[in-house]
Amino acid sequence: MPLEPFKAAVALTMGVELELQLVNPTDFDLSSSSSDMLHLLARGRFPGDVKPEMTESMIEVSTDVHTRHDALLAQLRQMRDALVAAGDRLNVGLCGGGTHPFQRWFRQRIFAKPRFHELSELYGYLAKQFTVFGQHVHIGCGSADEGLYLLHALNRYLPHFIALSASSPFFQGVDTLFDSARLNSVFAFPLSGRAPFLLEWEAFERDYFAKMEKTGVVKSMKDFYWDIRPKPEYGTIELRVCDTPLTVERAAALACYLQALCRMLLERAEAPPAEDDYLVYNYNRFQACRFGLDGTLVHPKTNASLSLREDILATLQRLEPHADALASRAALDELRRAAGEGNHAGFLRRQHAEEGSVEGMVEAAVRRFRSDERTVS
Amino acid sequence: MPEIVVAVLGEIAWPFALVLAWLAGELGHRWLSLPRISSYGIVGFLLAAGQAGVLPEVRGGTMALLANVAFGLILFELGYRINLAWLRANPWLGVTSLVESGCTFYAVFAVAQVFSVPTVTALLLASLAMSTSPAAVLRVVNEARSSGQVTERTLHLSAFNCVLALLAFKAVVGYGVLASAGSVFQAVWSSLVVVLVSAGLGALFGVAVPGLLRRLGALARNGTVVFALAVLLLTALTVALKFSPLLAALAFGLVARHRRVVLSQVQRNFGALGDLLTVLLFVFVGASLDWRQALAGIELALAVVAVRLLAKTLATTLFARVSGISWRKGALTGLALMPLSAFAILLLEQTRHLQLDLLDQVAGVMAIALLLEIAGPLLTRWALVWAGEAQPKGEA
Repeated sequence: MPLEPFKAAVALTMGVELELQLVNPTDFDLSSSSSDMLHLLARGRFPGDVKPEMTESMIEVSTDVHTRHDALLAQLRQMRDALVAAGDRLNVGLCGGGTHPFQRWFRQRIFAKPRFHELSELYGYLAKQFTVFGQHVHIGCGSADEGLYLLHALNRYLPHFIALSASSPFFQGVDTLFDSARLNSVFAFPLSGRAPFLLEWEAFERDYFAKMEKTGVVKSMKDFYWDIRPKPEYGTIELRVCDTPLTVERAAALACYLQALCRMLLERAEAPPAEDDYLVYNYNRFQACRFGLDGTLVHPKTNASLSLREDILATLQRLEPHADALASRAALDELRRAAGEGNHAGFLRRQHAEEGSVEGMVEAAVRRFRSDERTVS
Repeated sequence: MPEIVVAVLGEIAWPFALVLAWLAGELGHRWLSLPRISSYGIVGFLLAAGQAGVLPEVRGGTMALLANVAFGLILFELGYRINLAWLRANPWLGVTSLVESGCTFYAVFAVAQVFSVPTVTALLLASLAMSTSPAAVLRVVNEARSSGQVTERTLHLSAFNCVLALLAFKAVVGYGVLASAGSVFQAVWSSLVVVLVSAGLGALFGVAVPGLLRRLGALARNGTVVFALAVLLLTALTVALKFSPLLAALAFGLVARHRRVVLSQVQRNFGALGDLLTVLLFVFVGASLDWRQALAGIELALAVVAVRLLAKTLATTLFARVSGISWRKGALTGLALMPLSAFAILLLEQTRHLQLDLLDQVAGVMAIALLLEIAGPLLTRWALVWAGEAQPKGEA
């Protein structure tokens, strides 16, 4: 299958996908309930899109295309309320978080759909270990080349998204010491990581995709698990490094942060991206996964060491005019608060310390997902 | 045979039966996908005094107490898995429960009358038939590692119909005592007071034990042992006072859950202790059955089993869609509710001292228990597999 043409979209539009956990409210282990949830949700009108994921204990929702923070957040809240209501009727709890803290991957049941069974056979235990939960953000691009430019120009900001969204400190019952343990699971896949450094769509198609396809390794863009990947059929680039946050408020804020960043980058005031930027990419990514907001970044152009938290706060400052133009100041405020108070990984660790059990931690996540949190300050 | 050999054989009869049952359970599970507890029941039945005669008469004694404890542990776990908030969020679940229990009661009572069973006995039989064996359901669910709506609903409906069955049973006993002995005091005592005090004792444990654990601060490490010991104590206490150990254990689990002390994964089934006591429980229950009595009441039994299946499945199917699941899953829930027995037998044990001996009065009960003892868990297993909720065998 040749690469499909990149369908131009309205620049700076955005859409959000959230992979959510379905848990049993008795023991707070994952609950294989997505078929039951989907059956019930299919009967009413769901305010958005909802579909199954790899294993029966995950469910994925996605929003429409949005331009404004308030509308995006409103839809996310409606979708959450619909999910929570359905969950209540079926005795299923819902929550965010990049990993389930103590599920055993070998216990997960693969959702009955041919593609999922194929993947399960190909990747073996990796497929079940891939019971991790991410937030994906799509940003519309006016052209394919603009998309590739943004994809690479964002390399230096990628750790911001990891650190701000991180909500997966525990995995398989133990504290991993990572703020985002989820990304370690993603990294196990052979086609994960960064996209090749090509800034023109034509070159990308001819010099990379066509060659890869000829090797037989990939069939479509779907087979790449890159941190950011182009999505030609939507005309978007898709950021995939975020853990699903514990609240929809944080999810909406992260999307608008990306939107504002793209607006700034499209002004092309910064030095253009270069292949050498990726020399520090994996190191920065690790810092953000491991230490979250307390991590250290190496600036790809100046090689200066920066505190991740301070770099985020400085970036938020710089983005203010863009946020004003996009009406997303509330989103930036939410992230400023996150940078100050700490991310959701920190919240979960505190819960673990207080409750004394991983189950108590999931219960806190379920509670936090259910209700609105203050946004407008 | 020299006397000493006979004596030794008599002494080892029980452990021998347990080993055999365990072996049969493993092999039956591997080769025939038979739920382990079905095999335990079959072995107990075959070795019982009335059949092969390997096991002595099982009435009363240490074995009965141990079986009660085993059952108490299972009921505690079931109570712990019951989420009362679900009833509030989905009132149709409560309606389903009331209707399926009520229909079963009425249908079985009608059948018993057709077979000209005396009224009080027919009422007792109808109350018993309401209940789904929580032990069978929970063991099969845990064995299949199933999760989903059929699983959750079967567990909840089983807990609810057991409580309803118990209330109905005690009410009938009260009525029976009033009718035969004419003593209002004794009637109220044997129904209302027994129910309230048993549930109260359970609730008391449900508050005290988690409180103690929290005070000790060793929740994660010692939870299993402490809860098991508490169930042991509670069972012994209620048996000694001639109250209902079953209701007490269920209430204990229910209150403990809502006091939010979260059990960890290891404690499902109470681990190896729970496995061991389950073998004992089901061998014991199987051994309390007698084929002659079973055979005598086979027609009544078949009729009761049929209307019970019909009543339960109809009710769960009828309310499937309004309560949020498909017709198919509704029907499968009804099928999964089939197991009866452990609960019934132990309930009967409790009425012996009241001279209301249902086991001897209605031969049909034996046959019903025998049928559903073995076939019931299998039906539950099939329902879970057909609903796509059981863990595929190779991956379990």
